[in-house]
Amino acid sequence: MAHPLPITTRADAFLHDLIGPRGLAVRNRWLLATILIAGPLYGAVMGSFAFTSAERLLMILYAAIKMPLLIGVTSLLCLPGFFVLSTVLGLRDAFGRSLRAILTSQAALVLVLASLGPITRVVYFSGVSHSQAILANALMFSIATAAAQIVLWRLYRPLIAMDRRHFAMLWTWVLLYAFVGMQMGWMLRPFVGTPDQPVTFFRDEPFSNAYMVIFGMLTGSR
Amino acid sequence: MSISAPRSWLGDLDGLLRGKRTMGEALRQGIIDAPLSRFIPFAIGLGACYGFFMGWFAYAGRTAEAWQQLVASTVKLPALFLLTLFVTFPSLYVFNALVGCRLGFLAVLRLLVAAIVVNLAVAASLGPILAFFTLSTTSYAFMVILNVVLLAIGGGVGLGFLLKTLRRIEAEAMEEARSEAFIRVETLKEEAAARGDTPPAAEIRAAAEIPTTAVGSANVIFRIWVVIYALVGAQMAWLLRPFIGNPDMAFTWFRGRELGGNFFASVLHHMGRLFGV
Repeated sequence: MAHPLPITTRADAFLHDLIGPRGLAVRNRWLLATILIAGPLYGAVMGSFAFTSAERLLMILYAAIKMPLLIGVTSLLCLPGFFVLSTVLGLRDAFGRSLRAILTSQAALVLVLASLGPITRVVYFSGVSHSQAILANALMFSIATAAAQIVLWRLYRPLIAMDRRHFAMLWTWVLLYAFVGMQMGWMLRPFVGTPDQPVTFFRDEPFSNAYMVIFGMLTGSR
Repeated sequence: MSISAPRSWLGDLDGLLRGKRTMGEALRQGIIDAPLSRFIPFAIGLGACYGFFMGWFAYAGRTAEAWQQLVASTVKLPALFLLTLFVTFPSLYVFNALVGCRLGFLAVLRLLVAAIVVNLAVAASLGPILAFFTLSTTSYAFMVILNVVLLAIGGGVGLGFLLKTLRRIEAEAMEEARSEAFIRVETLKEEAAARGDTPPAAEIRAAAEIPTTAVGSANVIFRIWVVIYALVGAQMAWLLRPFIGNPDMAFTWFRGRELGGNFFASVLHHMGRLFGV
C-alpha cells in the first residue's frame, strides 16, 4: 500500500498543477470541484458585508450561490458561439484543449479570489462604507482576473504555437466572456448587499441592461 | 528532515537568529528547518513578552483596571502577528504557485513563522527599554510613537531575515540548475564520444542553458506580500486596539468600530500631539 502523502504536499501538487507554469494536469472534475467550492467561499465573504442580524445570513447564502452561477451561466452562454467560431476557423480538433484551458483559468480565478477572501473580510471589519466595500471587491476581482489571464495565456501558448488562429479565438473568448459577464454580474446583483435594503436574491426591479445604464449615466439621460 | 536528537528550545531560537536554520543542504530541498510545533510557541511567547512590557504603561497609570490592560496587551500582541499571517498567507501561497515557486505550503509557512519569530525576538529584546521609558514618562503620545518605532525596528530585522533567506534559496536553486546543466552537457559529450564524433554546438548550447529560476519571480511576490502584510497588520492592530491604553479612556478589551479612523491617521495624530503641531 502506498504511503499517503501529507495533505500539504498534495495541496502543493494540486495548486502547482492548477495554476503553476507547468499546468493543465488537473482532472476536469477537480476543476469543477474547485469552482464549486472556492467560488461560494468567496461569495460568502463578499455577502457578509452588512452582516448585523440573522436575517442577513441569507445574503451570505445568496452571494455564495451566485458566485458559481455568475461564472457558470456566463460560460454556458458564450460556449456555443465559441464552439461554432472555432469550428469555422478549422480549430475543432483542439477544441477540447482550449476548453480545458478556459475551465482551468476559471478555477484559477475563484481560487485566487478565495485566497484573497480573508483580506476582504478584514477590510469589512474595518468599518468601510458600502461603496468602499464594492471598491475593495472590485480590486480583488481585478487581481484574480489578472491571475486567471496569466493562467489562460500560459495554457494557450502551445496552442498558439501550433496555429496562429488560436490567438484570435482566445481574444474572441476573452471579449465575449467579458461582454456577457458584465451584464450577468449586473443582473445577479446584489453581491455585497446595501445595508438599508432588504435581502433579496435579485434586486426588486425589472431587469435592466448594464451597458444602457452606463450609457445613461454618461449622457445624463437617466 | 531535521536533526532527530532532542534539541534545547533556546538552542533552536539561537540557531534561527544566527541564520543556521536557513542555510545548507535542507534549504536546497526547499525545506526550512524551523518546525512549526516549536516556532509558533516561540512567536506566542516572545510576542507576549513584548506585549507585557507594552501593557506596563497602563499599570504605571495606576488605574483600577490596569491589570486587565496588562493581560490584554500580553494576549493581543502575539495574536496580532499570527492573525495577520492567517489573513495574508492564503493569497501568498496561491500566488507563489502561480509563478511556479518550488517552496511548498509547509516551507512557506515555516519561513514566515521564522521571520515573525525573528521580528518578535528583536522586539522582545527591546522590551526593557520600553519598560524603562514607561516608568519615566507620562506622555501617552510619546509611548505610542516609541512603540511604533520599536516594533518597526523588529519588523525591519524580520524583513531582512526573510529577504536574506529568499536570496539564499534562490542561490541554492541557481547552483542546482547549474550542476544539472553541467551534467546534461557532459552526458551529451559522452554519448557523442561513444559514437566517435562531437555533438553539434547548438545542442550543447541548448543543454547548457539554465532555465530562468522561478524563485526569482517568487521574490517579487514575497516583496509585494511584505507590503500587504504590513498594511493588513497595521489595520489589524487598529482593530485589536487598545494595546497601550489611553489614560483618559476607560479600559475595554476592544474599542469597537464606532470610533472609525485608521492606523496611519492615528500615528500622524500622535506625532502632531507630540510635537505640538
